[in-house]
Amino acid sequence: MTGRRFATLAATAALLLLALPPRVARPNTSAGGKLSIDAKLDADRIAPGETATLTVQVQSEGLNLPDVPLPLLSGVTVERAGTAQNFSIINGRVSRTSTTVYRLIPRGEGVVTIPPLRIAVGGEQAETSPLTLTVSHDVAPRVPSPLQGSLPPGAAPAGTPEIFVKATVDHPRVYWNQQVTLRLRLYSRVDVIGDVDWKPASTDGFWTEGLGPPRQGRQIVNGKEYAVLEIPTALFPTRTGTLTIGSAQVRCRVARVIQPPDPWSMLAMPDVVPQDVSVHSDPITVAVEALPAGAPAGFEGAVGDFHLAFHVDSLTARAGEPAAARVTITGRGNIATIRDPEIHARGASREYVVGTSTKVDRTGDRLAGEREHDVAFVADQPGTLEILPVHFAWFDPESRSYRSQSTESVTVKILPGGEARPSAIVPGGLAVAAPRRASGPLGTLSLDPPAASAALLGSSIVAFGAAVLTGRSRRRRFRDPRTMRRRALEKILGRELTQAASLAGSGEPARAAALAEQAVLSGAGLRYDAELLGLAKAERGHTLRSRGASESEASALESLLGALQAIAYAPPETRISDAKHAIASARQALERYRKEMEP
Amino acid sequence: MRRRTAILALWLVAALGPAAARAEHGRVDAAALYNAGAGALARGDLGPAVAFLLAADRIDPRARDIRTNLAIARARVDESEGSSPRGASSPPAALALSPVESWGASAALAAVGALLLWVSVLRPGSRFLPLLGSAVFAAGLLLGFALALGAREEARHPEAVVVAPVLDVAPAPEERPLSPYLLAAGEEVRLGPSRGDLVEVRVGGNSIGWARRSGLWRVTDAARYTGNSGSR
Repeated sequence: MTGRRFATLAATAALLLLALPPRVARPNTSAGGKLSIDAKLDADRIAPGETATLTVQVQSEGLNLPDVPLPLLSGVTVERAGTAQNFSIINGRVSRTSTTVYRLIPRGEGVVTIPPLRIAVGGEQAETSPLTLTVSHDVAPRVPSPLQGSLPPGAAPAGTPEIFVKATVDHPRVYWNQQVTLRLRLYSRVDVIGDVDWKPASTDGFWTEGLGPPRQGRQIVNGKEYAVLEIPTALFPTRTGTLTIGSAQVRCRVARVIQPPDPWSMLAMPDVVPQDVSVHSDPITVAVEALPAGAPAGFEGAVGDFHLAFHVDSLTARAGEPAAARVTITGRGNIATIRDPEIHARGASREYVVGTSTKVDRTGDRLAGEREHDVAFVADQPGTLEILPVHFAWFDPESRSYRSQSTESVTVKILPGGEARPSAIVPGGLAVAAPRRASGPLGTLSLDPPAASAALLGSSIVAFGAAVLTGRSRRRRFRDPRTMRRRALEKILGRELTQAASLAGSGEPARAAALAEQAVLSGAGLRYDAELLGLAKAERGHTLRSRGASESEASALESLLGALQAIAYAPPETRISDAKHAIASARQALERYRKEMEP
Repeated sequence: MRRRTAILALWLVAALGPAAARAEHGRVDAAALYNAGAGALARGDLGPAVAFLLAADRIDPRARDIRTNLAIARARVDESEGSSPRGASSPPAALALSPVESWGASAALAAVGALLLWVSVLRPGSRFLPLLGSAVFAAGLLLGFALALGAREEARHPEAVVVAPVLDVAPAPEERPLSPYLLAAGEEVRLGPSRGDLVEVRVGGNSIGWARRSGLWRVTDAARYTGNSGSR
């Protein structure tokens, strides 16, 4: 290959590489670019006993921030040190950021692998790259935070005890809400075995904030070198006068070495005996002064050293869309209790507090941090929106004076809004339907029942209940034997006697009389609950009397039956009138039976 | 038993009467609501779009255009929140009924059931008829019961839509401070009691905090925000 040809190939390859599209997604970012996660360790190699810090930052476009599940790490104690969230609206798009800090405390030597941390929101997914943390004695220990200050005069213990605890404050006289740093120190000249059990001092009248993990170091006290373990705490007085910080107690187990009685013996070795000890500190008093008079307007009780910053996300916005303003207060002091300065605007139709977030830095001896306060303004009409100056005042205890800071007003130009979105097609293939030209239908938005439906439903319930009651009553009556007999009697009256009367009218008196005779026997049988058909006269009379019929009733019945039977033998010219007469008598008798059977 | 029936009837009249009287007020035009929703959707004003279209859907639930634009508005709300979409919109069912129609169906079923039972009482003989009447009546009554529950829930916790770009829902001043919820424009919630400028916001049957009333629209009030959808 000649040099010229090689140069041509190299140039072509370079052009091809340049022509390749950029990578669609950066590592740790979802394919759509709306979700990202980043994890980092402050050190990838630490010595045993040291602590590593894992910081996980998640950014999401939209309101939903996913949880970050941190998997269990074998051989490592994981402590969640804190979470800070941030929120912003830029050109109507909402994005949120969450930063979570974990402390990783390995329990031995080895390599700790932190697997990829995966998050998902909707269809977006992102994950971190795996991280490794090496814990080895070969790694030089990181320099511990120097222990500030020494024991004040008179605070040193008498003699050189093996172990003791001291509590000190940096300022015995402070202003209200000014930080007092309490240092609780354990001095030891003997080995401490296992964990130290701290019972913190009572701090009534103070707002308490921890200042990071325990710090270690060495100090000389009364000519002896001690290993020192310190727990610093930031205290902020919440009332004036003399406040007392109570006694703190420390319990631990020390290794005490007992020498053998005969030092010249070759077999005698020093004996190490564990011993539980409990030591406590002395109470401390702190004098708290009230803040001096002459507080400026807008002072809300912030004490410390602060700086105010102001940011507006855009100097132009469309009518109906929000313009977001953010005020950020940074500095040293009790940042979590600061009251947010008010942000107002002239020309806004609506304003909304979008959110507030606080980040606290506990790494130093002074509590510091940052507090953000977001407000969104919406103007409905084109024109200008003037975000008014923001004022913040605080008391600086170092200079013993009040200080304040104000921002300039910011003018946001409001452009006409209302134009349609360029795309009327949404994912999924749906097209926005066009407006209607015709009106209707009319209806009500209430879910309450219309009057007609309510009335119909109510009356239907009443009607149903009435039907149930009626049906039950009828069924009960029909189950009564007396009622059933009466109904049978009514049928005879309505059917057989009517037919008999019809036959008598049509010139068939003999058949009419026979039918009427049978109806009377059946009806009497129903009345007295006995079967009378087919019985001889004497037997019939006996049955009737045995069933409660009186002598006169029995004879009246027999008389009627005799009259009906006699019609067949009557002269032809009298048969029809006799039959009609007898049938009428039979009807009267059966009607009387029916009435007697009514309840 | 008759006394119980009379008490039940009186209770129904007392319970449904005032609600029925309220329902007669404010008949609104679904087309006006729909057009207001479509206009808001075209402007990208998702909160009012969802509110108007939900209101139009209550009146005209079988309208394909309302369902389509409501699905699009909801999809855009999900998109703005960074959530996964709720899925493609289902076509309007032929049996979808508005509340008024549902109440009518409930009353009609109950009336037919009662009628069938009366027929079976007056002309006994069929065992099938009373069963059919009871079943039809029970169906109407169950439907009415479900509708009454929905109306009661709407009266106690009215359905509402977030219209502010971002609504900060935080605990009440005297409650234990917690991280606030942020709701985006177009999210559908229910409201609880109100205190001054604040109203309780409920999601999934649970209270999540209090928010400014100006950032929310009740669906039943949607007609107030249109120019030409008032009573005729």
